[in-house]
Amino acid sequence: MYSGRRLKEALFTVTIITLSVAAIAPVLHIVYTVLVNGVSVIVKAGLRFFTDLPPTPGSAEVGGIAPAIAGTILITAIAFPLSVVLGLFSAILTTEFPKNPLSLLVDTIARSLASVPTIAISMVIYTVIVVPMRSFSALASALALTIVALPYTYTYFSAALRSVPAMYREAAFSLGMSRWDTVTRVLIPISRRIIAAGALTTLARIMGETAALLFTAGRFRGGVAISLTAPVDAIPLLIFDYILSPYEIWHEVAWGASALLLLSYLAIFMSVKLMVKEVKL
Amino acid sequence: MRLSKKDKLFLLSLLPLATSVLALLILIIFAILLRSLQAINKFGLELLVSSVWSPEQEIYGVLAPLIGSLATSVIATLTALILSIPLAIAASEYLKGFIKNVFSSLIELAGGMPTIIYAVWASEYLVPFLKTYVMEPLHRLLPFIPLFSCKPITGFSIFAAGVAIGISVVPYVTALILESYNSIPAMYKEACYGIGAYRHEAVSILLSLSRPAIVASLLLGFARALGETTIAVTTVGSSMYLSSCLFAPGYTVAALIATQFANANLYMYAESVLYTAALIVTVIATILSFYGSVIMVRWRSRIVV
Amino acid sequence: MLAVEIEHLNVYIRHAHILKNVTLRIPKNTVFVIMGPSGSGKTTLLKVINRLIDFTEGVRVEGVVRVLDIDALKADPYELRKRIGMVFQTPNPFPHLTIYENVAIAAKLNGVARSKRELDEIVRWALEKAMLWDEVKHRLHAYPHQLSGGQRQRLCLARALAMKPEILLLDEPTANIDPINARKLEEAIVSLKDEVTVVMVTHSPHQAARVADYIAVLYDGRVVEQGPAQQLFLRPSTEITQKLLRGEM
Repeated sequence: MYSGRRLKEALFTVTIITLSVAAIAPVLHIVYTVLVNGVSVIVKAGLRFFTDLPPTPGSAEVGGIAPAIAGTILITAIAFPLSVVLGLFSAILTTEFPKNPLSLLVDTIARSLASVPTIAISMVIYTVIVVPMRSFSALASALALTIVALPYTYTYFSAALRSVPAMYREAAFSLGMSRWDTVTRVLIPISRRIIAAGALTTLARIMGETAALLFTAGRFRGGVAISLTAPVDAIPLLIFDYILSPYEIWHEVAWGASALLLLSYLAIFMSVKLMVKEVKL
Repeated sequence: MRLSKKDKLFLLSLLPLATSVLALLILIIFAILLRSLQAINKFGLELLVSSVWSPEQEIYGVLAPLIGSLATSVIATLTALILSIPLAIAASEYLKGFIKNVFSSLIELAGGMPTIIYAVWASEYLVPFLKTYVMEPLHRLLPFIPLFSCKPITGFSIFAAGVAIGISVVPYVTALILESYNSIPAMYKEACYGIGAYRHEAVSILLSLSRPAIVASLLLGFARALGETTIAVTTVGSSMYLSSCLFAPGYTVAALIATQFANANLYMYAESVLYTAALIVTVIATILSFYGSVIMVRWRSRIVV
Repeated sequence: MLAVEIEHLNVYIRHAHILKNVTLRIPKNTVFVIMGPSGSGKTTLLKVINRLIDFTEGVRVEGVVRVLDIDALKADPYELRKRIGMVFQTPNPFPHLTIYENVAIAAKLNGVARSKRELDEIVRWALEKAMLWDEVKHRLHAYPHQLSGGQRQRLCLARALAMKPEILLLDEPTANIDPINARKLEEAIVSLKDEVTVVMVTHSPHQAARVADYIAVLYDGRVVEQGPAQQLFLRPSTEITQKLLRGEM
């Protein structure tokens, strides 16, 4: 009986460890394969990977993904600040006036937006923006990404604001600070690292989102377009198209682009880790 | 809480924001509903009982993708169930120090990784692996079970998509389980060890204590799997043929939309049919995640004293 | 001259009746001590005076509260709070601001100082008044987590003083700090009388004896006794006061 329990304990431990290693293994394998396959492509293409246009299917040269890089930067530059501002103000509203009906409304909406599949958001933006404007555009893409990102910024920021101990709010109010001063001079600065970490995590999400761009960006790969109203390309979109294509050279480009995306993601992830590590209240 | 005049002004200044957030939601709901109506009026339930995609003849039926979405999500949720619970237990009970940090960092890393990267990896590595080491053996050993009855040809299939999506959902579900597991007050844990429980006994007591939270996490994971697009497209095989076998290629609603929506405006009803399919999936996902959050909140208010 | 005048104050939080028909008169430029066992409603009473009570969920306040000759319950709470400083039970200097900034922010936001020089002077004055200046003058730009608990509490006192308040509310300010720091804080409090009215909540009869001009005894939400401190110590009229002063409660 006694040793039976010991045996069970050992079996249980082995099972737990085996399965959790199995759960973690894919991540390691993904990072490994993407870097091994992708970095060699980037190295082979050299700097031209960042400045050239993508190859034609029959081409022997890898070329570059300049339109996708420019597009991702352009779209992100609009969607990121928009989702941060919207998310921050929503979070301020719901944390400062938790019982107000307006807050409950915003909270419910922001949370339920998270459960809408991003491809459905892409369809909606296609119908209400792309069709009336008669063109795919960076603007439409950025709007779709803003909607995708809003639930994330909102959730991170309201958690950050709520993490500030109540005694600092009381101190602020006891000094005669207005609500605006309390939020901007005390609550946000105290939780600034958590807020920044949340913002960066959302940035990674925006950069890597594919489905929301499917019917909004327009996949323009013929040059670098810096216009809000013209079709654009994006790195995840290019990867998606090329990995599904039958051409070997496009697969190579897809791996290179994946490695670039993964490296950017890793860089953001590391900065978030460093940032959160230093949080002290 | 009483609001002073200044508070009301502050609240008022946030009104445009609340309105624009509300407008976003209304926009989405109305666009999806309105664009769906056309197809619902024209085809009605017929859409849900057949599996055809023939826009040239304006004949549609989305049964296969709907079932495909549900089947892949069930497989994904099962994958998450098998992998996430041990991972959460390991991360909170078994691992210590540096290794624990490495594991939790990797869970976080995986959770935020762009799904397109999962999609590339899954189509190039996971699908062939599953074909050789899981699907073919299962087919050889258990061909009489309908789910395993067909020989995997390419490997791209409902099963592969389910596992691939599952792997991408594991970190999300693990984080949810971990969060609730860690929110169990320490006194319960101490009570378990206090009555002389071995670690596996203590863990199983704590697991049964957090069963509602685990169910909620899985519901939320299911909802996320339903909407997953890129991984589905690259692994599901894109076939409208409805099969009882998991190893045959299929479709999910998200994959159907991803591949067909761009050209849908060339036809009368194609776009509206895709909107209807999106509506169904969105409604299911929203209900499930709402239900999941309710269970989670209720459990937490009961467990935290 | 009264700084605070409270009549028939009743406070309910959800269904609990926290303060019951409280009537209090707090004269200007005195140290007014509120004593009572924990849970008797002392903190709530303080928070009514500067309307921090507004942030408590499900609160209902009835009665008349006149603070500095204005109707505190009807006044704009933000304007009211500008004239009332508060030090809390747990030291809570802002962790993201330096020692200097913690004090300066109070002066700046309330328009007490206009130039950098004025600000410097006020910061120094407040820190001196709080008996902290000598300990921090060479590290004004350090962060408060480098200070000891008692120093942090004195920093909070300096912060409250820098807004040049007319009333200072102290909620068991020495409860969480060591005896030496507590004595310094008491000294600072007594020396403030000429400039502000101090309303202080405390547990300790010894502390009350050392600093109080007036004492009110709160028990289960009611004021059971109030009057000049000496009178209360010599001839306590209720058993509750006697027990409290003997430290038995």
